[in-house]
Amino acid sequence: MGALQYFIYLSVAVLLLGLLFKAMKIARMPIHLRWDLYPIPHEKGKGHYGGSYFEELDWWTKPLKVSLVSEVKEMSKEILLIQSLFHHNRFLWFSSFPFHFGLYLLVGYLFFLLLGAILNLSGIVIGATSESAIGVTTHYLTVITGAGGAILGAIGAVGLILSRIFKGELRRFSVKADFFNLALLLALFVALLISLVTVDKDGALHRSLAGNLITFKPMGEMPSPIPLELFLAGFFFLYLPFTHMTHFVGKYFTYHKVRWEDHPNLRGSKIEKAVTEYLGYKLSWSAAHIKPGSTWAEAATDTSPVTGEEKKK
Amino acid sequence: MSSKKVKVTDMSNNQGQLTELNQADFLPLPPPYDKLELEPKMKPLTPDQRQRYECDLDGIAAVMIPRPKTEEEKKVLVDKFLSGLTKLFNKEDNWTFIQALLLTMEYCAKCQTCSTACPIFEESGGKEIYRPSYRADVMRRLYKKYIKPGGKFFTKLTGDDIEVNWEMIARLAELTYRCTLCRRCAQTCPIGADNGLVTHELRKIFSQEMGISVKQLHEVGSVQHIQKGSSTGMTPLAFKDNVEFMEDEVKERTGMEFKWPIDKAGADVLLLHNAGEFLAWPENPEAFAIILEAAGISYTLSSDLLGYDGVNYGLWYDDVQLARVALKHIETAKKLGVKKIVLGECGHSHKALTVIADRILTGDYNIPRESSLTLLADIVKSGRLKLDKSRNEDIYVTLHDPCNVVRLMGIVEPQREILRAISPKFREMTPHGVENYCCGGGSGFAIMPNTNFPDWRHSVAGRKKLRQVLDVFQDVIGPEHKKYVCAPCSNCKGQIRELFSAYGVFERCNILYGGLVELIVNAMTDIEKPFLEWDWH
Ligand code: SF4
Ligand code: SF4
Repeated sequence: MGALQYFIYLSVAVLLLGLLFKAMKIARMPIHLRWDLYPIPHEKGKGHYGGSYFEELDWWTKPLKVSLVSEVKEMSKEILLIQSLFHHNRFLWFSSFPFHFGLYLLVGYLFFLLLGAILNLSGIVIGATSESAIGVTTHYLTVITGAGGAILGAIGAVGLILSRIFKGELRRFSVKADFFNLALLLALFVALLISLVTVDKDGALHRSLAGNLITFKPMGEMPSPIPLELFLAGFFFLYLPFTHMTHFVGKYFTYHKVRWEDHPNLRGSKIEKAVTEYLGYKLSWSAAHIKPGSTWAEAATDTSPVTGEEKKK
Repeated sequence: MSSKKVKVTDMSNNQGQLTELNQADFLPLPPPYDKLELEPKMKPLTPDQRQRYECDLDGIAAVMIPRPKTEEEKKVLVDKFLSGLTKLFNKEDNWTFIQALLLTMEYCAKCQTCSTACPIFEESGGKEIYRPSYRADVMRRLYKKYIKPGGKFFTKLTGDDIEVNWEMIARLAELTYRCTLCRRCAQTCPIGADNGLVTHELRKIFSQEMGISVKQLHEVGSVQHIQKGSSTGMTPLAFKDNVEFMEDEVKERTGMEFKWPIDKAGADVLLLHNAGEFLAWPENPEAFAIILEAAGISYTLSSDLLGYDGVNYGLWYDDVQLARVALKHIETAKKLGVKKIVLGECGHSHKALTVIADRILTGDYNIPRESSLTLLADIVKSGRLKLDKSRNEDIYVTLHDPCNVVRLMGIVEPQREILRAISPKFREMTPHGVENYCCGGGSGFAIMPNTNFPDWRHSVAGRKKLRQVLDVFQDVIGPEHKKYVCAPCSNCKGQIRELFSAYGVFERCNILYGGLVELIVNAMTDIEKPFLEWDWH
């Protein structure tokens, strides 16, 4: 196995562990105080106008009505179409949508490459002329997601780079890293496109490389654009967990654990148990109205240093 | 320096005021305020004020931070700020919001979508410093530099660096009081980042670590609340006197004579008003008393310390103060043995006690809290009141949605159900409901009178609301038509009162503002005279 292959294993491992670490880090933080923001789509019968269970008289005596269908519908529109940008920032949507949709297609491309590689191993031929229907379908889906993803992604990346250069409000807030991230992805999209157009029109080469990677066989000699493309992909995987581009992880939490998190703290609930523990945490804030070293429970109930006079003395 | 080109890194420069405010830059208002000369003039600070207080952000001194006299003083303040910043990202010190804050720090894509939603940024004519992401970007750079491992090195590499000095911190302190925490920006963010939360958390560094906060929120606000019983300074004795006065007034205005229940143990409901109502708009608690009496609700008011003032200013700047006040409210309810607390027409007390404090109320402190709007809608729908909507026929009514009740709690329909039942000429502002705009008095602004801040509040923060009101009544804008802005929130009413008075809106356009219960009582057929006293506004 060559250095490039090891590099790819390393980068995939870093990517997966990095994403897991990020998600765990957020998930293991204390439950915050409620910070709901309406509309919340899962409020059954009320989500469409932004209503909540607080509109019900004696709401705590009634079962909470949750509509997962509405929530999934809203999530799908946001994930697939980026509807918030569509509604509130159409200019950027024209670049951001193809960029993100291109990325989704490329995730699909990776999936179909791996699927194809596994099917190949089990003797199914992948290709337009394959006798197996699944072989034909996988072939077309691989080609469409690969080429489609690279083209859309490249269009979107160019649009985003140009927007950041020429639109003042974006330029003023963009830093070197933002341009680097977009340029890296653009390079990756273009490299993939060149490989697909020049040396791997039906994606078979990529599929066999994927097969070698998952069976830990050497990838062997590759025609010239491919090593560069693989290096860029590897570098991107390695780099991604250290950037805000992992916002797909963050977005799960910002929506589900903050904006749409409307669980009331009911007696005997998990929330209550957790909060009871947090109330024992010690505060070290130094302003005069907070006694140093007191726990949250003590600080909230002991109002003696409320004016701060004691501390000032 | 041209304010349009102000960059985040300019926060640290030592070149004096960062942005000049020129009223001609603000978005023009609809008629009859479509000429700049018809607008109230914003006063500059006096030379003395400029010398004494930090005002190098935009020439406004809302917080009135004394200018440090020596470099040593500045250094102490900078160090304190940085130690507060560290505590904000420490689980024990800030378990209350660390998760939400970290998400906002980590994942902003700098797409500026949030800017399209912010009334302050928009109405100011697009002043960079008021952009929701501007404040957040300062904070994010600080986070990356001082909290993330290797931050000082990496921020130089990525271009996220920011110079930290007292000039920057003083501007930032003021900047945290140029956002009403309406969270309209967060509603539009594709990532779910929350620049309103950034304001909230920054205010906590200043208050909880540095002891810097707005006097009306802290000393006159939450401290006085805890010590005297009310942020208005009203003592329990004065509260009881006020109730007696209001009982007499109800008799005079309606002919109804009844005793208001105070400290009635075992009542179903503890009704918690914003004490500002008793002083500024007694007709509001009076209308509540009339409705609850007529509907036969078992309720009580409390004369315990804090039991008659539902405000909780900690909500806007200090988690410890928030918790203290919330617990006192609950203790009052516990003592009376009520089944639930019902919050009067005060948006922030709704959110503070029902939503934000929810997760600190464990065990028997977890007494149910409910909005009066929900209870009132039930009373109106149940037919327990004799109502005739034609009694409100000559009044064009629009509804202001308090952010705290609507966007931040999801109580949208009950107030509309009521208005549809009692007001034939009810019409909606654009936009409304969860997308509505803040009155401009949110996050404590309505009670902040310092230096020239009220001018800024009228001309910038409240501009969008004034525009909405003028727009919705544009076809009947002349003074011959009676118009009413129904604002079921004390804080919003405070802001609208000042806003309307600054622009002479009642005199010029005959637009009155008030609560919801007053309109309900105005439609009650048991009461002979109109309850709304139009000319005595
Ligand atoms: S907070 Fe959200 S909307 Fe605003 S710039 Fe960041 S990602 Fe964009
Ligand atoms: S919370 Fe409201 S006022 Fe503050 S930045 Fe966001 S939109 Fe503007």
